[in-house]
Order: sequence, then structure tokens, then C-alpha cells
Amino acid sequence: MQIIGEKINGTRKRVAQAIAERDTDFIQNLAFEQAEAGSTWLDVNAGTRPDREPDDLVWLVKSVQAVVDTPLCLDSANPRALEVAIRTVKQTPMVNSISGEPDRLAGILPLVAEHGCPVIALAMDEKKIPESSAKRLDVVCKVMAATRAAGVPDAHVYIDPLAMTIATNTGSALITLDTLRAVHQAFPDVHLTMGLSNISFGLPGRSYINRGFVTLAMQAGLDSAILDPLDREMQAAILVAELLLGRDRHCLNYVRAARQGILG
Amino acid sequence: MSKELIQAITEMREGDALKITEELLDAGGDPLAILDACREAMDVIGGRFERGKVFIPELILAGEVLTQISAIIKPRMAQEATAKKRGKIVMGTVEGDIHDIAKDIVVFMLDINGFDVTDLGVDVSPAKFVKAAQETGATVVGLSGFLTLAYDPMKATVEALKAAGLDDVKVMIGGGQVDEQIREYTGADAYGRDAMAAVTLANKWIGG
Repeated sequence: MQIIGEKINGTRKRVAQAIAERDTDFIQNLAFEQAEAGSTWLDVNAGTRPDREPDDLVWLVKSVQAVVDTPLCLDSANPRALEVAIRTVKQTPMVNSISGEPDRLAGILPLVAEHGCPVIALAMDEKKIPESSAKRLDVVCKVMAATRAAGVPDAHVYIDPLAMTIATNTGSALITLDTLRAVHQAFPDVHLTMGLSNISFGLPGRSYINRGFVTLAMQAGLDSAILDPLDREMQAAILVAELLLGRDRHCLNYVRAARQGILG
Repeated sequence: MSKELIQAITEMREGDALKITEELLDAGGDPLAILDACREAMDVIGGRFERGKVFIPELILAGEVLTQISAIIKPRMAQEATAKKRGKIVMGTVEGDIHDIAKDIVVFMLDINGFDVTDLGVDVSPAKFVKAAQETGATVVGLSGFLTLAYDPMKATVEALKAAGLDDVKVMIGGGQVDEQIREYTGADAYGRDAMAAVTLANKWIGG
């Protein structure tokens, strides 16, 4: 299970402030903590106005690279920002993200192909987020046709089937789980990823919902996720799911984690 | 009896709310008084929602109860007695942003408070806002945006409204991280942190 650490995100007020003030210590601390907690990738999102985003994203990349070796996941819809950031990274980054939207594909896919970047692809297009798993699969097929045409290996693609909140539609999780299974079957070599907190938006006890969801999603084929690596209970839920899905030889990871007190 | 109705609605007791509504009407009760009770119930629910005591699915359920009550009442209301709308408002999520849940809650609260709301949906261009304001004669436009890249479209929409000569239209913005600095940047007349703020602003600007 690949963990993409989500905390360095400029749409969060405190991080936005750190970016504006060029507070290197704050950002580097977030990077260090997430790396120590076992992140496979560190997502960096400059979240600011389009004119400032390239400079802010480059500053984030430099700050983070100075203190950790974890590869980065460049989180931006702005091709200009991605371009300058890719030139600054020390190792091949993941790109977050493309989708079925033609502008986004045209702007970002060439960069991804040129630099051999893994890329997250959202199962939505210019007509917004499809309300059925069949329609989401249609969008994924469109995106895969584009990535294949651009020479991007299937194994570099991380499909995000999208999760709408269950608060406004009690079928939301089922749609996402069906989409995970369908995509996995149609494209066995692609990875599957998700941001795990959207599912619980608007309800109390969000962490219970998120943990239950990651468990079900891993059974449906999820093999990576964008989340808070410092969330112990989430970490425990993932360890348990790996254990129960037969992926933890001699239950070793689970037992080690228990001994280290990670399970609380 | 209307106190019982208010309680049934605020306690999410759908069956009871509908039963009480029928009973009130059969006993010769005034349909407008029932609508007033509904609005009072929604004020209570709205307040509890903003304080984190009530959650989105309950808001949606309350909306469904109100829709059912309206359906029961409408045929029994005399033409002249139909509740008058207090003013016209255009609402939408700005261009490039598709977040809609919070906007929908605002639309709902404005509607139940007697305003005639035109909901343009999401990813709405400045031109579309201008057209809707012109066509409906709305005096208030509400712009919703969750992403930080919503601020420029908000600004563009305010400018488009002015350019179209709609100087008397008041603009309120909301969503995500809006604050006084963002309000100033966009040129909007006011910002709101939650749905109740939108209602307060609409009441202030439209009155009645």
C-alpha cells in the first residue's frame, strides 16, 4: 500500500500562511514528520493564485528536498507550475493530476510522458463527476487511451475513482467500490488511489467512516492513498486490511507495528 | 398545534410532521401559519447545523419533509393567499469550481426564508451570472467558491455585473476560506461564513 502524505497543501490556511511568509521551518517539519511516518510520496500543493503558483511550488519543492529523500507528488492543475517544478526536483516526481478534461490532458500529459512521471488520473471529465460507476469507467477508458497514445506505461497510471460524500448520497461508497473493481479488471496493471476523507464530509465521527472506507476499498483493489500519515488509527486500519487480505507474510508487519505501539 | 409541528420537524420525525400537517388542515388551520411553522423549524435546524449539532443528511431530510408539506398544502391554498416571495436572488458556484453542497444549503435556507432563488449550479461563467441577473431582475447575487482559484472568477463576475450596468445588484461571496481580504480583492459587497450569514445579508439588503 503506497502512502501519499497529504499535509503540505496550500489550500489549508496554516500552510498557505507558511507559503506566503516563506516559513521554511514549518514546511520542512511537515515533510520530516510525514517521511518518518513512512510516506512513500509527499504531496506538495502550493494552492495559491495562478500567478504565484509556479514560484510557490518551486519554493515548496526546494524546501522539502533539502530535508527528506522521499519522492514528491506535485499537486497542481497549472502546467506552468508543473513545468518549473519538474525542473527543480532531484528525482522523478508523481504528477497529481490529469483527468478526462481535454484541457487538462493537453496541458499536462506531454509533461508526464516527457519526464516519465507516474501520474494520478481522476475519473471525471468536463461534464463533471459521473454519477454511476459505468460512466466513471467510460471516462477512465478515455484517459487510458490518451496515456497509452502518449507512451505512458499503464503501471505509471494511478486511477482515482473519486469518492463523493455519503452524506448527500448513501450509494456513494458503493459507486466508488464498484468503480475500483471495474477499473482493476479492465486495466490490471494500473494502480488505484484515492483521497480518503471526502467520503465522510458533513457527518460526525469522520475518522471512523474513513477507516471503514479504506478497508473496503483495499479489498476492492485500492493499492495507494492520499492521507495523513500521522493518523495512527488510519495506519492501523491499513495494516489490518493488509493482514486480512493475506498480504502480510507471517503477520509480521502487523505484529511489529503492535510492538512499536503504532496500534495504540 | 403548530408548536408540535415545529418540534416534529426539528426532531426529524417525518411521519409525525406530515400527520400533524394533515390534522392542522383538517381542523381548518391556516396554510400560511403552517409554512411559518416550517420556516421557524428551519431556523432552529439551521442554527443547530452551524453549531455542529445537526448534520448534512438531516438537513436534506428536513428539506424533503418541507417539500412534502408544501405538496400537501398547495392544493388547499387560495390563489391570493399564496405566500409572496420577498425578493429575487441569483446563486451559483463560480467558474472553474464544482463544489456545490454548501451552495445548495444556502439556496435552501434562502428559499425557505421566502426569497425567490435562481440556482445556476456550478462552474458558472461571469456572463451567465449577468444574464440571469438581467433576466430575473434579481437584486442580490451570491457567489460560492471553495477552491482558492475561485477568487479571480468571483472578481471577474463582480466586474461583469458592473460592466453590464447592474450597479444596484449586491454581491455576497462565500465558501472555503473567504474573509475580508478576499472580499476586498473580489470587489464583493459582503462575505458570509455560513448559510445563516447569507440569510442575514439577504434580509438586510432586501428587507420586507
